[in-house]
Amino acid sequence: MEAAQKICLGEVDRAFAFIGAGGHHAGRNFFGGYCCFNDVAIAVDHLRKSYGTHRFAILDTDAHHGDGTRDIFQGDPDVLHVCICGMNYVSPDGTKVDVPVPWGGRDPDESYLKIAEAAFASRVRAFRPDLTIWYFGFDGHQGDYGDMGLSLRAFVGLADFMVAAAREASGGRLLTVLGGGSRTDLATLIIPQVIHRLANG
Amino acid sequence: MNRPRVGILYHESFSRRSYLTVGRRLADFPAALDDLLRDDRFRLYRCPEVSDSLILQVHTPDLIPEVEADPL
Repeated sequence: MEAAQKICLGEVDRAFAFIGAGGHHAGRNFFGGYCCFNDVAIAVDHLRKSYGTHRFAILDTDAHHGDGTRDIFQGDPDVLHVCICGMNYVSPDGTKVDVPVPWGGRDPDESYLKIAEAAFASRVRAFRPDLTIWYFGFDGHQGDYGDMGLSLRAFVGLADFMVAAAREASGGRLLTVLGGGSRTDLATLIIPQVIHRLANG
Repeated sequence: MNRPRVGILYHESFSRRSYLTVGRRLADFPAALDDLLRDDRFRLYRCPEVSDSLILQVHTPDLIPEVEADPL
């Protein structure tokens, strides 16, 4: 919440929020999947009430479906929620979208990036959010618990894409919230490089 | 000092016991950010605690004691 607030106050252009526990599996009245409270939803609610920031676009690239976030924002036309996961769904109003990613292939990084960009780029551009939010998990890295065959290249590519998407859709305002991923070596490798890319553009 | 482009929100408790799958995935932080923080485009902020009243704007009242009672 503090990270989102700093963006809204103009203290920073973009922010990266570390977390103590996950958020996207926490719904209005349930929690699980190592998530306790929905950090993104709490930030959205606070920004709406305190700063008049109203429209939000969320890309969830954690390996698993953001069911808690979906539960909270279901029926909210001012939140675009695009989840890259194992499901395939588009809500009638087009603001809630799940996109499946096949595992493996010749170049999993390139495939994943293409799918994420195709799912989010045109939608966020049309949606024109006040703030773009990236729910970033690295659990899809090779050898982590959501292994999708991805490498560092995919996460750095996603960071570049999100910076560009936010610049075009929400005046550059981008909040990145850490999601899943369990390995210390991967966290130490990936997170600083993702944050470094957030300063570009 | 110039205004930073990127704010990084962190709390030392996240490195002690972070994301309950393994517990210490962020053990190398914040030291792993040292190189970045030499660049004035980045600034590290200490993450404050969120009040129960803000949590209750989104979640039902019974969720807080349920989370507190969770053995993980």
